[in-house]
Amino acid sequence: MNEKELQDAAQRLPRSIEPPEDLWPGIRERIQRGKAGKYRRLVWVPLALAAGVGAILLLRPRGETWTVQRVAGAPRVNDAPLGGSGTMRVGQVLETDDSSRATIAVGGIGRVDVQPGSRVRLVRAEATDHRLALAFGGIHAKVDAPPRLFFVDTPAGTAVDLGCEYVLETDSSGRGRLHVTGGYVEFAWGGARSVVPIDAYAETRAHSPPGIPYVADAPAALVVALDSFAFASGGAPAVRAALGAARSEDAISLWHLLSRVNASERGAVYDRLAILVPPPAGVTRAGALALDQNTLETYWGRIERIHFRIVVLRGIRNVDARTGRSRD
Amino acid sequence: MSLTPALSVLDERVVRARAGDEAAFEALYREHAGRVYALCLRLSGERGRAADLTQDVFVRCWEKLGTFRGESAFGSWLYRLAVNVVWMANRGDRRREDKVMPVAEPDLHERGMTSAAAGLGIDLERAIATLPAGAREVFVLFDVEGYGHEDIARMTGIAVGTSKAQLFRARRLLRERLER
Repeated sequence: MNEKELQDAAQRLPRSIEPPEDLWPGIRERIQRGKAGKYRRLVWVPLALAAGVGAILLLRPRGETWTVQRVAGAPRVNDAPLGGSGTMRVGQVLETDDSSRATIAVGGIGRVDVQPGSRVRLVRAEATDHRLALAFGGIHAKVDAPPRLFFVDTPAGTAVDLGCEYVLETDSSGRGRLHVTGGYVEFAWGGARSVVPIDAYAETRAHSPPGIPYVADAPAALVVALDSFAFASGGAPAVRAALGAARSEDAISLWHLLSRVNASERGAVYDRLAILVPPPAGVTRAGALALDQNTLETYWGRIERIHFRIVVLRGIRNVDARTGRSRD
Repeated sequence: MSLTPALSVLDERVVRARAGDEAAFEALYREHAGRVYALCLRLSGERGRAADLTQDVFVRCWEKLGTFRGESAFGSWLYRLAVNVVWMANRGDRRREDKVMPVAEPDLHERGMTSAAAGLGIDLERAIATLPAGAREVFVLFDVEGYGHEDIARMTGIAVGTSKAQLFRARRLLRERLER
């Protein structure tokens, strides 16, 4: 079966399939239960408000606290409903259901918008270590501070702020994705790290080094190959597929591959990268293959500058992804 | 006064259901249950779960009807809501993505399909159910339901690139499985 036949077959599938039983009685029951609950809630509102005020007075947080603002729905802090705004202190947990949102003020350095269906714990609130733990769900973080002051722990590793804005999503098993929308973020686990620049993504999985970053418009074949390499023991075939699919715009991916592949595959990665983005002065093949830190950082400097120019000049200038020069 | 076509033909049952009329809402359920169930079934890959998800979709629909303004057809709005409900449910248990559904579900989706021409459809339905969750979801939305990658990204929150990658993966897996 070729691709066309597959698509034709997919389009011929029936649009409608009758449920195996009549689901309406169950739906009606839940709707009616919801109505009753609404009326019961109305009765309890004044009492709940009074109890809430009392609880706030009695349980006022002490020590380092961050402000939390309800944005939508009914977020909860340590299982207590969050009114318009409140506070979180170290150890406390903010939870949102699938229709709730909240915003956490990260000390004085930024904010975190907590998406529906999330659980976030405040781990540390110190001048040099602002740290949340995202058990599952998603956050949008925007931080305006020197690098490495804001951290988000997830089941798969830690997102380290390098001066940035990003969206981080994970499920409770650690399967997730980091999308950087401003600056850079490092994702680290067990000594391995990925540096994810603006307009790039990295996948995360528990008990695995972070995924190889890839740009937003990366070819699908490259994304699949990187996923296979990082999380499915794809090995040499996945590396070959990635090298074959990569363009100059994907140099950030190949640069990360350099230090993640076996020594026997490193030469091929370097050679392909050198064709896609010629190395700057001071970068030698021998240095790269030996994973010399200065060599790798010098090469990264060139790659990330080109990437940055492509992103910020998109729609304004036609930037050559190989050299970073404007073609206009 | 000119109304958009959608507003000018706003289904009376929708208007009545929005005002709390359960009978009108039941009529909407009867009309759309099959389509919503098919969507839930293919996105989840499990019949038992699809029935629960279908109920969830209609309960959520009832709760959100007040926000439906008629900018699109009610069905389109409902199906997008269904995608959102299933996606959120799947997100809570993404470990399922690694789980390969057993192929031996002989009656899966076979209801009403008796002609020889339906054979490929049955095989394809079974093969879709064996896909990893992420690939299955994108394949169903793109190739079966006809949404574009931008739509899928908007509805589910994944990147356009990821949607393309998952589609690529799904088609490759399906071709492999159907050629066995």
